[in-house]
Amino acid sequence: MDFGFTPDEEQLRQEVCDLLKKEVTPELIAEVAEYSGGAGPVFGRKLLRKLGERGWLCPTWPKEYGGINSSEMVGFIIRDEMTYAGAPVSLVGATMAGPTILRFGCDELKKEYLPRLARGEIDMALGYTEPQAGSDLAALELRADDKSEAAIMERGEVNAEEKGDYFLLNGQKMFNTHAHFVEYHWLGARTDPSNPKRHRGISLMVVDLQSPGITIRNMTTIAGWKTNEVFYDNVKVPKKNLVGEKNRGFYYIMTALDFERMFPVGGFQRIFDELVDYARKTKCDGRSLSDDSVIRQKLAEMAIELEAARLLYYQLAYMLDKGEVPNYQSSMQKMFATETAHRLADVATQIMGPLGQLQRGSKWVPLNGEAELHYRWGFIETVYAGTSEIMRNIIALRGLGLPLG
Amino acid sequence: MDYGLNEQQEMLKKTARDFLNTGCPKKLVRRMVLDEMGYPQELWHKMAELGWMGLAFPEKCGGTGGSFLDLTVLLEEMGRACLPSPFFATVVLAGMIILETGNETQKQELLSKIAEGELIVTLAWTEPSGSYYPDKATTRAVVDGDNYIISGTKLFVPYAHVADYIICVAQTTSGVTLFLVDNKSQGISYTLLKTIDGDKQFEVVFDNVKVSKKDIFGKEGQGNIQLRKVLQNATVAKCIEMVGGAQQVLEMTVDYVKNRKQFGLPVGAFQAVQHHCANMLTDINTSRFLSYKAAWKINENLPYAREASMAKAWVSDAYKRVTKLGHQSMGGVSLMEDHDMPLYSKRAKAAELTLGDADFHREVLAQELGL
Repeated sequence: MDFGFTPDEEQLRQEVCDLLKKEVTPELIAEVAEYSGGAGPVFGRKLLRKLGERGWLCPTWPKEYGGINSSEMVGFIIRDEMTYAGAPVSLVGATMAGPTILRFGCDELKKEYLPRLARGEIDMALGYTEPQAGSDLAALELRADDKSEAAIMERGEVNAEEKGDYFLLNGQKMFNTHAHFVEYHWLGARTDPSNPKRHRGISLMVVDLQSPGITIRNMTTIAGWKTNEVFYDNVKVPKKNLVGEKNRGFYYIMTALDFERMFPVGGFQRIFDELVDYARKTKCDGRSLSDDSVIRQKLAEMAIELEAARLLYYQLAYMLDKGEVPNYQSSMQKMFATETAHRLADVATQIMGPLGQLQRGSKWVPLNGEAELHYRWGFIETVYAGTSEIMRNIIALRGLGLPLG
Repeated sequence: MDYGLNEQQEMLKKTARDFLNTGCPKKLVRRMVLDEMGYPQELWHKMAELGWMGLAFPEKCGGTGGSFLDLTVLLEEMGRACLPSPFFATVVLAGMIILETGNETQKQELLSKIAEGELIVTLAWTEPSGSYYPDKATTRAVVDGDNYIISGTKLFVPYAHVADYIICVAQTTSGVTLFLVDNKSQGISYTLLKTIDGDKQFEVVFDNVKVSKKDIFGKEGQGNIQLRKVLQNATVAKCIEMVGGAQQVLEMTVDYVKNRKQFGLPVGAFQAVQHHCANMLTDINTSRFLSYKAAWKINENLPYAREASMAKAWVSDAYKRVTKLGHQSMGGVSLMEDHDMPLYSKRAKAAELTLGDADFHREVLAQELGL
């Protein structure tokens, strides 16, 4: 057993820390907030390119695609430190789409997208959810009709007007965060509507969000950050943008979730550290907040939960490096970390008393309004990327072998 | 990082599980509650033959030089089996005090006999105030020539009735001091306390008990610091014992809900039950990692006060939650006294209140965080 980092890992962690301390400026933090936690066009992209130069964005990838061939542990350490520093973390391009292309994509696709993702030049938005397909992702309906000669022949459409080496896309996506400013859509679409096994008719493809026929409409979340509806109206997507095999998309999506579902806890740890400092320095009714035994209990509890979330987080890296697939463990970590984060924000606002309701930019706001923002954000995190309830289903079914209802 | 056991530890775990599966069935556990001795002596001697008592003692003291982590592997299996025995008192509490603070003679004499299974030693530190802080002891030790005279009342002394020695925590003029008291000494009396899980815990009254000056552990007045460290180690050990119990509760529950049918389906197919089980596994995994991280730090001689309190605060609550959800998922049958569940749910409560509960350890942690 060993719960420490190796000297090499520790050294790298320090280097990452040092770089981020220099590069994460108040301007960057403000831009991250403006761009819903993502990398904005000026400071965010500049930082990602700096990290990309060192191979730190996608460190586990081979050198030819912009990585440094590192262990998963190194990748986990970097993401933990990035979130601690308040840097934007690409959870779609670098940790979901990229690894899936690496695992299942053809050479052309790898060469086209991986190096640019690893260098921080492009990013992608997740395009899974639809109005009728939330937790039940296999219900997605956005149509991608194969217009190639062979496919048309197979379907026996003698009078087909549209023909060419592309898919024709029609339908609607929803809650696609960052779609209004990143370059590509990582899209799940229905390529075989005739297959009664719904999950067998889905394909994954990369779509240029500048393609004609795409309309993006902002939706504003409870946290004030933006997400989007994305409408596809006869959008042509070249067939070479298909990831892996046609109709295998659902399988790729699920595999990616096993490998890539994880939540770094660094950002929450930073809020906690600032909160401890705040409790020590702030007086109420003539004594420090930190002298109040109820506050002491709450802070200690949060320290424990954060440590537990971090232990679950690094367990995933440990398993991946051993060649194991953390299927239920990643769900557990996602559920536990996001629920912990929401409690942390709740506790933080309570410790601040009436000041806990103040928002960033307000007169008298403590800790730049982070607690209040994350209290709202916590509702989102425990729902998106798999609700806590779906996570518990997965733990019960896959982790404990309980029967399907 | 390495979240796994090494090969030797895996073997030890397997041996311990097999041995306790046959040697410590639940029938025996329940019988021991009614038994006056409170532990199966034959099994105790077999454990000694397997080298369990001396596992973490150095070879020159009759042990096999294993690590603290090795010891915790055993404790997890003991917790899983609900083993009734003076192992924790003798090896983890008393054994650690002797190892950490004893002089060479004390170590040689006491540890080698403990390793052989020939000696039972226990620790008397809690008092009627119920304080979890060792420095709050009010039991007094007064100098009388070459001896000390000890007077005071101790509570929750495990297996005092079968112990050969009691290590007594008492105040001298220079502070908290640890005394090795022969249990046959005049002036010692004990009363069995009636506890939730029916284990053997006693009130021990020391009424002018004479102890030789040479039977002090370490330095007079330094007992507080010494005891604190040993109790911290024991706290981590207790957490891992609790993890073993919680794991068994989950396995019993999962086994039951896969087979029990209601409304035409296994109850484990209902999401309400599935979510109970998922919560149990989450509590167990987090408990396990927090506890083993603390144990690993002890093993590596790294500072661990923070981790020890994190573990006990979390596991105290988590083990209780697991037993509660186990009962809820299994329903009526699990509420019968001859079912295995009550053994665990009662032990979870007793263990919570041993060596500091969650509130106590959160306060310790708050201090460690600089609050």
